[in-house]
Amino acid sequence: MKSLGPALRPILLAVMIVVAWQLATSVFGLPTYLVPEPLKVLKELVNQWPRLLSESAVTTAAALGGFALAVVIGLLLAVLIVYSKTIESYLYPLLVFSQSVPKIAIAPLFVVWFGFGIFPKVVSAFLLAVFPVVVSTVTGLKSVEPEMIDLARSSRAGRLRTFWYVLLPHSLPHIFSGMKVAITLAVVGAVVGEFVGANSGIGYLLQVANGNFDLPLMFAALVVLSTIGVLLFALIELAERLLVPWHASQRQDYTATA
Amino acid sequence: MKTFERWLLALGLALLCAGSAQAQPKDKVVMMLNWFVYGEHAPFFLGKERGYFEQEGIDLQIQEGRGSAATIQAAAAGSVDVGYADVGVMMRAVARGTPVKSIGVLLQQTPAAVISPADRNIKTPQDLIGKTIAITPGDALTPIFPLFLSKVGLKESQFKTVSGDAQTKMNAVVGRQADALLGFVTEQGARMPALVNQPVNILRFSDSGLTLVSLGMVVRNETIKNKAEVLRRYMRAATRSVEEAMKDPDAAIAAMMKAAPQAGQPDAQLVSLKLSQQLYFTKETQGKRPFRAAPATIEESLNVLVTYGGMEASTRGKADDYFTAELLP
Repeated sequence: MKSLGPALRPILLAVMIVVAWQLATSVFGLPTYLVPEPLKVLKELVNQWPRLLSESAVTTAAALGGFALAVVIGLLLAVLIVYSKTIESYLYPLLVFSQSVPKIAIAPLFVVWFGFGIFPKVVSAFLLAVFPVVVSTVTGLKSVEPEMIDLARSSRAGRLRTFWYVLLPHSLPHIFSGMKVAITLAVVGAVVGEFVGANSGIGYLLQVANGNFDLPLMFAALVVLSTIGVLLFALIELAERLLVPWHASQRQDYTATA
Repeated sequence: MKTFERWLLALGLALLCAGSAQAQPKDKVVMMLNWFVYGEHAPFFLGKERGYFEQEGIDLQIQEGRGSAATIQAAAAGSVDVGYADVGVMMRAVARGTPVKSIGVLLQQTPAAVISPADRNIKTPQDLIGKTIAITPGDALTPIFPLFLSKVGLKESQFKTVSGDAQTKMNAVVGRQADALLGFVTEQGARMPALVNQPVNILRFSDSGLTLVSLGMVVRNETIKNKAEVLRRYMRAATRSVEEAMKDPDAAIAAMMKAAPQAGQPDAQLVSLKLSQQLYFTKETQGKRPFRAAPATIEESLNVLVTYGGMEASTRGKADDYFTAELLP
């Protein structure tokens, strides 16, 4: 097992789960109208690949759009909250309140407000993704040691410079952990948007497959969707590695993982 | 002592027999509807209120559903005893290996229609040209829309479609992002007038000469085999409920509103019930008791699904695979 690279381990586990699942359907006769056979899912994955790919592009675009909005607006809100106690007392409780609203319940209204294009999906992705960005950025900015800020101030750094050279870099690890949660939620949000009103996208495909009792296609779409989530997550992690190479979470600790 | 014990045993047995004859334990039947409660379902509530099911020894429990497909899956998995679901959708599920069958088709004509507010001026199918229609991909009626189009001589390129779930579809029409929607006359057709504050125009699929069965009782094959006697009594009570509701729709709606006040406006529900009652029979079954779909109707529905509804000809099977009239009174 020592020779197995860490990247291979989850793949090995996944393969084991799929084999067990195949056995459950073919040997123990788990009814295929309830759970499809993995082999059939795989076949569907291959057969429908061009379609799955083009539908994924639509969903990914909506998820990325929503995520970008969430990062920009989330950071802005977090800075406002950290810099002003008044704004915090007004805004933060409402933000938490809005987060508790189930998005799926209001999603049908997005179509009325924003039409049938990509925008309602972006909004839906944004709404799910923005909260973790705000919360973790606020935590990050607030956990910068006061001595650091004092030091910056004593060297006559203005507010903007203190923010840019001290506060922001120090809260980056927090911001990135928020962004990692946000990116996976953005994918979910995009699909929620597609569920309620779309002519394309993975969410649309899921709806069609479900209505036609096409479980293999449905599961194939789910596999593709999860893969999108993993890839986007990995992308954020890569950015994190490049931008915060100094942080403890990025140090390779060989003794612990070997 | 031995004789005494024997006497005791005899007495006990006699008491047991008497007890079971007097208070026969009722068979619990859980029925899952195709959707949230709406007027079309009123007969079942009438039957429950008037004790028709009770008299047949059935303890009926009605559950709301979230679409025919989900209801059929619940019935197939045995989570519920009976599903009230779209038999056309069931046919597609059966062709994919789901072990269910219909034991009675209530709506023998499809309630599918293009429904639009009067001010959008869609009075004939030709008026759809250049308009926008809201549809729900993968639902009961969207797959047969192309057949309707070919029957009325329209092409899909002649209008725009937008798709979304059931609520989005209605929202789109109310919010003027779409001019019409594909829906059931019994559901959206009854509900839309109050939402748009004006009468609605309805283009029925059945008026174009399209034959397709719709809502009916769906049961898992195993239940038909093991509990035929319970289902027979259940269908007797259901048939009686439907017949009584035809005589007195107002009472049926009143019973439904009492049991399920969340259903909304009683007036709209009454419209829904009356619209659904127009779809109970075909030419072949006129004058017969409800639920007895004609084999020809089942065959024709299968043909429609093979040609347009994404059913493979190889998995089509016979009418008997989908519908049995054996449990009907």
